Amino acid sequence: MIQKKLQRSLKNVLNPQGRPAPGLKPLSILRGSPHKKEEKPRGESAVGIKPLSMAPRLNTLNGKTIYLVDAKFGGGYEFLKEMQAWFSKNMPAVKTVLRSKLGDMFVDDRDLWAEIKEKGDAVVLGVGG
Amino acid sequence: MTTARFADYMKQDSETHGMGLRFSFPPYPVVGMPVSILREYIEGNDPVTGKPLMQEVMDALTKALPEKLKKLKSRKVSQPRLLKPNTEDNLRRLFLKNGWTDGLPIIPPTEERVAEMLKRTSHAPDEVVGAMSISDSVVPQEYTVEKIAVNAVMAGARPEHFPVILAIASTQEAAFPSSTTSFGRMIVVNGPIRKQLVMNSGVGALSPLNFANSVIGRAWTLMTINFGSTRVGETFLASQGNNLNYNNMCIAENEERSVWEPFHVQKGFKPKQSVVSLFRGWSVINSMGAINQRPPHEETLILMKAFCALRSAATLILDPLVAKNLKEIQGFETKEAYSQWLSENVKIPAGQFCKADINYHFMLPFAQQGIEPYATWYNLPDDVLIAPYNNPKNINILVVGGETNAFWLTTDFAYSASVSIDEWR
Repeated sequence: MIQKKLQRSLKNVLNPQGRPAPGLKPLSILRGSPHKKEEKPRGESAVGIKPLSMAPRLNTLNGKTIYLVDAKFGGGYEFLKEMQAWFSKNMPAVKTVLRSKLGDMFVDDRDLWAEIKEKGDAVVLGVGG
Repeated sequence: MTTARFADYMKQDSETHGMGLRFSFPPYPVVGMPVSILREYIEGNDPVTGKPLMQEVMDALTKALPEKLKKLKSRKVSQPRLLKPNTEDNLRRLFLKNGWTDGLPIIPPTEERVAEMLKRTSHAPDEVVGAMSISDSVVPQEYTVEKIAVNAVMAGARPEHFPVILAIASTQEAAFPSSTTSFGRMIVVNGPIRKQLVMNSGVGALSPLNFANSVIGRAWTLMTINFGSTRVGETFLASQGNNLNYNNMCIAENEERSVWEPFHVQKGFKPKQSVVSLFRGWSVINSMGAINQRPPHEETLILMKAFCALRSAATLILDPLVAKNLKEIQGFETKEAYSQWLSENVKIPAGQFCKADINYHFMLPFAQQGIEPYATWYNLPDDVLIAPYNNPKNINILVVGGETNAFWLTTDFAYSASVSIDEWR
């Protein structure tokens, strides 16, 4: 009798997981700021996730402007500075612009993106982690 | 570019968001490395692919995209409501294998058990309460009242605990957001529901010795695992993790023995309202001694200096004996008065604050934007003293304990949110 009880199937156990939400929600891991009005939202709420195509690639980097953007993780700026030095030494025909993103790593720097769109040809964003 | 340590994470992140980004991975770590080492990274190979790093960068910007990277479809994963029938032992193993638990045994959430849980709320089972993710790299998972009940059953909660668990879920906050820093959490319950649930606010309140404290805290952890898409090493990257997450320091405030106003009243609720408040931080220091040689406020000055004072946040958890001493002997009539005094009197060298790694990441940007006091602090010589807890409102005080001795806990926890439990009954 006991043996049978141990082997009895449970037929109605529910799945504990959530389901994908219909839209992305902005997430602020470290919420709170002494000056909230200066913080910019990290993301936009979207109705549904829409895959984006990658931007077309460049034929050549010579004569182009590459923005090297520090994502604000530790060491990123110093690393990209060395990358800028590498371009200067090895590919002097490539113009590089070294910039740090506004705010911390979670802030969306839309002014910088607009500037890059207007004045740049490519972006290297880093260094995460 | 992301360091090689996060190669898998970033590939998943771009796929989750429907974009096949091109990555190059310098060696790890980058933070704290001298310029000479960074130069070696630049001139060396990507440790993930073995290819020269700068060649990869140039290829990423110039080489034509393969068809599969031009447009990715986002992954849609649907979960069936019911699991396939199986024995209880096999189901427990399945839950464990799927990463749906905290490693401890769970109560299988049968429809009958979930139905019992649902009786203790007036909200409909299919009501969507919120959506949660532990990081931006995963799609938020939305959850209903029923899903919360499933996780509450798993945690071992009884139906009477359900309104508290619903209230926590309604904040949409994850118990452990994915950060390499390893967050800890605290749940504090105020109001009449503490007695109704026989929660512990006295002796051993923070110990694993009370049913309600244990299961309510655990339910938040399980919800975070199952709604937040927590997968160790893939989406959850806390370098060491935080043991507090087992039950998220779930406690009740000892309102009856406190000489001060309850926390929820400070936040604008009425005394007879039942409220749950959430906090977030990393570290807890025990006073390790009572108040015989040095009064508690002076001892606390020493303890608070150990923290980075990020956004002026601290939370003190005082035994009622300590609160009584502070009010009746030291003269702090209110919690606010004590917070104010601490704000003015905790002083550390500017260099200690400015060079704390977490402040470098989050407060230096404010300084660079000219926001005070950070703009001034970051221009000071290292040895000039500053009062880093510049906002006394971010120093929170709770009264918890059983008066067996005058001890307290000093934490770097920041206040996050307070939510009515009564709305979820």
